[in-house]
Amino acid sequence: MIIFDKYTKAYIVLILLTIFAYSLGKFELINGSLFIVLIITTFLKGSIIIDYFMELKDVNFKYRLIPLIWLFIVLCGIVIGYYF
Amino acid sequence: MKEKKIIYPPGDAGIWIIIYIELITFGLFFLGFVYSRRIDVELFNSSQLALNQTSGFINTILLLSSSYFVVRAVHSIKTYEIKKASKIATHWLNAAIGFGGIFLIIKMSEFIEKYSEGINLSTNKFFMFYFLLTVFHFLHVLLGMIILFNIKEKTKIQGYNKNDLKGMQTGASYWHMVDLLWIILFPLIYIIR
Repeated sequence: MIIFDKYTKAYIVLILLTIFAYSLGKFELINGSLFIVLIITTFLKGSIIIDYFMELKDVNFKYRLIPLIWLFIVLCGIVIGYYF
Repeated sequence: MKEKKIIYPPGDAGIWIIIYIELITFGLFFLGFVYSRRIDVELFNSSQLALNQTSGFINTILLLSSSYFVVRAVHSIKTYEIKKASKIATHWLNAAIGFGGIFLIIKMSEFIEKYSEGINLSTNKFFMFYFLLTVFHFLHVLLGMIILFNIKEKTKIQGYNKNDLKGMQTGASYWHMVDLLWIILFPLIYIIR
């Protein structure tokens, strides 16, 4: 049985979410609710990179919080800009 | 009283200041794009159709994979004894640089294609943002590859070990930031309408 470590699991999730995002665009499936799902999955992808690739998961919380807040503000800005 | 240990981000403190500044800069560009779109949604949506989503998708896979290879290189140095670790990490770094190189080739061919179609910075506001954001990001990838190449050269001569890998982590953090920026750029420029 193949056992994947946390980095490989994170990588697989990132690839799957990217395929999902591409499919939404390619088949023109973006509507109100799927747009929000896309934004949430983008936040998830960003936080995976921050936590596992940048290795900020176990550091002092404030250092991890800065890029997470950045990600949150940018994505909220996109939601507000596109839908309100 | 037991003092709580503060764990700092991996790599040099200076790189994290650069990373946070870069994130803010790109963040402002992203929001500028979004709010310019509000003024002329039709123009942005019709211009976006001229972009190739598939090449954007392939580039995302390439950058994510390249970032993962760098993670593996750092993990190798942390895990194995120096000789074995250096050999494995060098292979991973070669793969990361290779994927970064393919990203640049695809992006460059996209730029050339657009220019040959007569599309440039002054075509309209969408393409102004498209070129500004993607060329700016392209330059970051280029710089990241130069950093990775230098790290690889040092790794090859067993320059890093599990007690001294700060330099490698510094370069790796920069490379992951480039990846993080693309994670937003891809849906924003290519997908969302």
